[in-house]
Amino acid sequence: MSKFVRQHKQAWASLKKKPGFILTVLMTMGITLGALLCAVTLNYLLLVEPLPYPEQDRLFVAEHKLIGPEKETKAVAYTYPGLVHLYKSKQAFEQAAMMIYGQDVIISHSNQPLVNTTYVTPEFHQIIASPMAVGRMFEASEAIDTNNPVTMLSYNTWQQEYNGSADILDEKINLSGISYRVIGVLSEDFIEPELNGIGQETQVWLPWDYNQTGEGGRESFGNISNSLKFVGQLNKGVSQSQAQQLLTPLVSDRWQEGVVEIDFFNGWSVSMIVRPVKDVILGDSESIAVMLLAGVVGLVLIACANISNLFMSRTAEKQRQMAIQAALGATKKHLFKTMFAETTILMFMSIILALVISKVGFYIMQQYLGAVLPRVSELSLNPITFGCAVLVAITFALFFAKLSTRMINYRALNTTLQSSGKGSGLQVSKKTRQVLIASQVALATVLVFANFSLLKDAVKTINAPIGFETENISTLILNFSSTNFPTREEGIPIMAEIMEKLEALPQVESISQSRSPLDGFGVRALTSVADNKNYTPYFNNVSHTYFDMIEQPLVQGDNFTLVDRKDGTDVMIVNQAFAKQLKADGDVIGMQISTGRPDPFKIIGIVRDIAIPGDAATDHNSEALGSGVPRAYVPNGLNNQSFMIKVKPGQLVSREQLGKLLGDVDSRYAVFSFDAASDILTQRLFAEITTAVTTAILASLVFLLAGIGLYGILSYGTQLRRFELGARMAIGATRKHLVSLIIGDNTKAILVGFIGSIALFALAYIGMSEYIQPLLTWQVIPMLLVTLVLIVLVTLFACYWPLRQYINKPAIFTLRGSD
Amino acid sequence: MTIPIIKVQQLSKVFATNDMLTHALQGIDLEIQQGEYISISGPSGCGKSTLLSIMGLLDFPTKGKLYFEGVDISQLSLDQATAIRNKKIGFIFQQFNLIDDLSVYENIALPLRYATHLVNDKQIKEKVDYCLDVVGMSSKAKRRPTQLSGGQQQCIAIARALVAEPSILLVDEPTGNLDSKSSDQIMKTLEALNNQGTTLCVVTHDIDYAEMAKRKIYLLDGQVLGQTSLDY
Ligand SMILES: Nc1ncnc2c1ncn2[C@@H]1O[C@H](COP(=O)(O)OP(=O)(O)OP(=O)(O)O)[C@@H](O)[C@H]1O
Ligand SMILES: [Mg+2]
Repeated sequence: MSKFVRQHKQAWASLKKKPGFILTVLMTMGITLGALLCAVTLNYLLLVEPLPYPEQDRLFVAEHKLIGPEKETKAVAYTYPGLVHLYKSKQAFEQAAMMIYGQDVIISHSNQPLVNTTYVTPEFHQIIASPMAVGRMFEASEAIDTNNPVTMLSYNTWQQEYNGSADILDEKINLSGISYRVIGVLSEDFIEPELNGIGQETQVWLPWDYNQTGEGGRESFGNISNSLKFVGQLNKGVSQSQAQQLLTPLVSDRWQEGVVEIDFFNGWSVSMIVRPVKDVILGDSESIAVMLLAGVVGLVLIACANISNLFMSRTAEKQRQMAIQAALGATKKHLFKTMFAETTILMFMSIILALVISKVGFYIMQQYLGAVLPRVSELSLNPITFGCAVLVAITFALFFAKLSTRMINYRALNTTLQSSGKGSGLQVSKKTRQVLIASQVALATVLVFANFSLLKDAVKTINAPIGFETENISTLILNFSSTNFPTREEGIPIMAEIMEKLEALPQVESISQSRSPLDGFGVRALTSVADNKNYTPYFNNVSHTYFDMIEQPLVQGDNFTLVDRKDGTDVMIVNQAFAKQLKADGDVIGMQISTGRPDPFKIIGIVRDIAIPGDAATDHNSEALGSGVPRAYVPNGLNNQSFMIKVKPGQLVSREQLGKLLGDVDSRYAVFSFDAASDILTQRLFAEITTAVTTAILASLVFLLAGIGLYGILSYGTQLRRFELGARMAIGATRKHLVSLIIGDNTKAILVGFIGSIALFALAYIGMSEYIQPLLTWQVIPMLLVTLVLIVLVTLFACYWPLRQYINKPAIFTLRGSD
Repeated sequence: MTIPIIKVQQLSKVFATNDMLTHALQGIDLEIQQGEYISISGPSGCGKSTLLSIMGLLDFPTKGKLYFEGVDISQLSLDQATAIRNKKIGFIFQQFNLIDDLSVYENIALPLRYATHLVNDKQIKEKVDYCLDVVGMSSKAKRRPTQLSGGQQQCIAIARALVAEPSILLVDEPTGNLDSKSSDQIMKTLEALNNQGTTLCVVTHDIDYAEMAKRKIYLLDGQVLGQTSLDY
């Protein structure tokens, strides 16, 4: 038997006698190192790992930035003809693709599912070399202006909607009345570059020609849309800035020509921005990843302090055994090796658990964080994870072994043998204990404070009043599944019948023929007629019952009437924020507002502001107005194809039920989407909710670990002092005396810990000021106080709890040292 | 008749360990009057220390009654018992039980610092100096206990037991850890204290030292085997 194996066998035999010790080390290190491996893998993926596409460093997105007269950015979005012009010019890029993101209903499918669609030119999949599961990808036969109705499905759509059918290539699918032949299914391994936002995966790919932009939109240089994208492979040797310089005049000149007749755009210009695809995909997620890593490293350090204490106490316990070994001729090195064998076994067990936990962590991130973090679908246990795991295991094993053996006073070991073995002897020194306490307190304070700050912001956003009702309200949006759209006159009676049938449903309380504020607003360029000033408020076409249904109060003037909608009266309602923007005193009733059409709108009413999470002010000068962003409302037509349905409390209407209702009225109509307003609100708050949950979990973990750690250290210290405590009790020290004695003795360490936390903050501030700066306001002071109070409470608990077994019993127990 | 400092009636103590019951004390009756000097002796394990710790309110009886200056101990809370211990009882142990981190002076002052009624620093100094003088250790006030010999440490322990002017000194094997010269010294000091009026109860299995007491109690297997009659 080799020496190595023997040593480890012996170590295991010795460890086996302490299952509690093994379990504590395993759980603490396993869980925290699991989190560490997760965070490291995520950071590697986001910060280092190249995108999984050929020549990914040549992949760039070109963005169309509209600049206002005061050189301010108005929007980063294309106009349809501008994009086509850029595409056809074939400048700077070796190969490039146009794409439009959208949503549609597969009406040929029995479930009529709503799917994410992307209309692309064939270069897109060629550039990123998309792997196929079956069939082929788009080719020259699907290039622009070929009008070839074929489609590619995502792997998941094939599996979920078509049960992975083997003859999917014989299938035809119908969207908006057009029948597309399936020519291919993307491979399970295909990783879509999510250019339209994190977690937005395309389910059905369609040729560019079939995008849903109307005839007018295809010509208009005045309509902008941020679902239009341009991505390509830059020419070899062309730099990012060269490409920008080349493209800007090309696009800007054409745009100026296109808008020469629209006064609104006087003084505006276009500048092209060329950005690496990687930057676009990652967005600002890197900072989240780095913060996560920092948090987890803190957690690992706390765990490490806990385990250090355990190992040191164990050494103290084992001193007699080591003394015997020393008497038999073991050198210091021998003792270290024995210890190292133990720590190696424990650390490798922990790291195996950690790998399992990180695998679970990846799964959780993929299930729940797909909408917050990019590229999570690529997370897996890779060589980096394994390398990191081995490195961490060895480092910690060495560290703990070194720490344990360092406290052995080799020369004094024999005296252990001569003395009775009780009482004096090897102990974790008071100084070491104080250092451990201080570092626990410092780390816990920093982590808890950081988590609390993030948690507070998230909770504040989640709990912020939105100013309108979402309870029991859902929005039904209709899908029209034919290519010849009904005229206004044709549509009105159909919609009236649908409304009537909806109202007749027993579950339904009321119907309003408009979308809910959560899926209703666009942005519109408006001009005030009196002074010719331009504004870009959020804009919505609403029914006369809209404000009543969502309980958004009218503060001044009148509501729309049914007649306004029937006759298309040019009236407008604005919110308080927009009223203030239009006129300082907010008294805007009667003001004339132009949308560019000959007849301006007249403002007839003012409604209270609402706050939709995620809706930022659309132009820079409205931020000064505080919480409310400017909004304007005009009456919609009676042919409007969306409805808010308010059900009676506790009642439900199903998508299937609505589909059947629509089919009965007119078979060309189907359900596009039917979503509860409260669900949409939750989705909008998803990032905040995720943050809240994550930070709350992290903070509790920190408390738990720090609590366990402080308890371990303090209870060890108290145990060492039990005879002293007994003596004090014998001469009349009360419980209060003893508790304050222990607290008093640890106060210094705790204070040092708090000061240390401030030093850590300062370090973090210097190192990551860009992330931390925005967090630093006076509001952190109460947060800091709450953190301090909580840490103090945990510490007090850790002081008192180990003590209670001594002080609540007759003094003799403590004095005798028996239990 | 005056109220005895300690009165024990049918006192029993049972220890339960690992399914085994140890009857450490079985039906002890005992009274200690003001000014007495009592020794308790007997073979190892007969229950001397157990009796002493119960009388000193360090532990509680399983059965039977204990009155301290007429107060029924079973009615007291842990903290009330502590207060009595602080004010009325002085303890001296075989292992000295001094606190290594504190100076000799502070060790002696400790009971006063725990006292329920505040004692100011000046009074403390007077009392500590007096007690140091009584045991002849005035020169060692600034030392640490670890810098003293065993005999000297025990003297400090006596001084500490005296400082709160207790009604009774309970002494458990005061000489167990000492050589015969130091032991004689300690026993003489204790005797002198009794002559000045301090009530003393000393546990010892040294026959000679037991004989120094005015009343001798002999324990066997947790029972009083015999005692010399009261002199008065
Ligand atoms: N905490 C305890 N748990 C269990 N048994 C105990 C405990 N304390 C004392 N005993 C038992 O009670 C009996 C009396 O113990 P005690 O310490 O009073 O003896 P002692 O007369 O003081 O002996 P010695 O002269 O050796 O000090 C012994 O049998 C002892 O084992
Ligand atoms: Mg004894």
